[in-house]
Amino acid sequence: MKLRAILTMLVASVALSGQEGHPLVGSWHGSLGDSPAKQTDATFVLKFDGTNITGMINPGLEVMKLQTATLDPSTWTVHLEADTKDVSGKVVRVVIEGKIQNITNPRRTIVGTWTQGTTKAPLKMTRDD
Amino acid sequence: MKRWNALGSAALAAGLLFAVALLAQDTPGPSGAAKGGGGTPGPGKGKGKAKSAAPSLPAPRNKEGRVTFGPGPAGTGFWGGGGSIVGRGGNNLPANPLLEEVPFQPWAKALYDVRRSDGGQRDDPHVRCMPPGGPRQFQTPNGFEFLEQPETKRMYVVFGGGPRSWRVIYLDGRALPKMDEDSVPTYLGYSSGHWEGDTLVVESTGYNERFWFHRGGLPHTDALHLTERFSRPDFDTLKYEVTVDDKKAYTRPWTGGFTVPWTYTNWDGTPGGEIQEYFCQDYERDTQSFQAK
Repeated sequence: MKLRAILTMLVASVALSGQEGHPLVGSWHGSLGDSPAKQTDATFVLKFDGTNITGMINPGLEVMKLQTATLDPSTWTVHLEADTKDVSGKVVRVVIEGKIQNITNPRRTIVGTWTQGTTKAPLKMTRDD
Repeated sequence: MKRWNALGSAALAAGLLFAVALLAQDTPGPSGAAKGGGGTPGPGKGKGKAKSAAPSLPAPRNKEGRVTFGPGPAGTGFWGGGGSIVGRGGNNLPANPLLEEVPFQPWAKALYDVRRSDGGQRDDPHVRCMPPGGPRQFQTPNGFEFLEQPETKRMYVVFGGGPRSWRVIYLDGRALPKMDEDSVPTYLGYSSGHWEGDTLVVESTGYNERFWFHRGGLPHTDALHLTERFSRPDFDTLKYEVTVDDKKAYTRPWTGGFTVPWTYTNWDGTPGGEIQEYFCQDYERDTQSFQAK
């Protein structure tokens, strides 16, 4: 757990320079879950090379490398996909659909859903300043 | 209780005045500029005065005969606010691209449209006193001046507005550093320049993404590379041209520019021709310390 936290901080510190450029670039922190009492923390680290958006979810020992990442600037809709494993070790696809809100704000948010297999939960992520 | 209310009102009023002062000093960019040179205060727009209609004197020269960007023997004055690198008319160069000709990537155009939708100042980092890199340096209120130091082969650009910063342009022929993941990008970037006759040509890279490089919010990324060309066709005019090369935000390099007038008075219009003391303070939060003793 401590290692994951350290890795997260290291990756996040590298990505902090992005703020006013491409709206997705940088590190994002937030949580997902059906009720305020049952929230699971999540971290995104996203990059943009001029053509493709790349990155990872939850950097650390349980990192998920993004397989698909798109942004539709006409609606600021975000679509991310990555693979993880369930308790039995079976690969499960994670699909994130959301919309960027407060697009010009350094602490903008992505509000949407996290779908993992057949489970779907609301998600809110905030861009680190 | 009344005392606290009074103090609170005074603090609120001071905060509002501060915000209004900031906003008044830096107005929207390309949209307004395309119509008439931009809203930045300066000669003909603010209270600072440029020379009257009389023909301008020739640009001053150093002992080697090359044009300089300073006041010359006159000893006073500084450069006022410039125009925009997008749109034509006013202080903008006639060859500037129109807004629809700027080769934005789709995300950059969409983001720029949102920024402009609120008068070009929506969440502008400069309003929060972040240093202005790139062309924005020459669009900010309170003026700027060039200080050349031949013995160290450096040119300093000193800004009177914003957080009152300065930029170093190395004139010793050094190459720009290669930017990689270990590099620390900055607001003003890393600049290396050389003279081509009377024109100063400056290459810059190493910019961070924490500021707007142009008034009104033209987007850029950490891939931004600028090639700036400064010249002085006459005493009263600085010509600024810049090629913007940022493949993450624009589909191809593009060029625009503007002229900047020499300012003979202080910024507020009083006699003097000096950059006056001004500090932009980042998001003043210590209002509790404003209590009367």
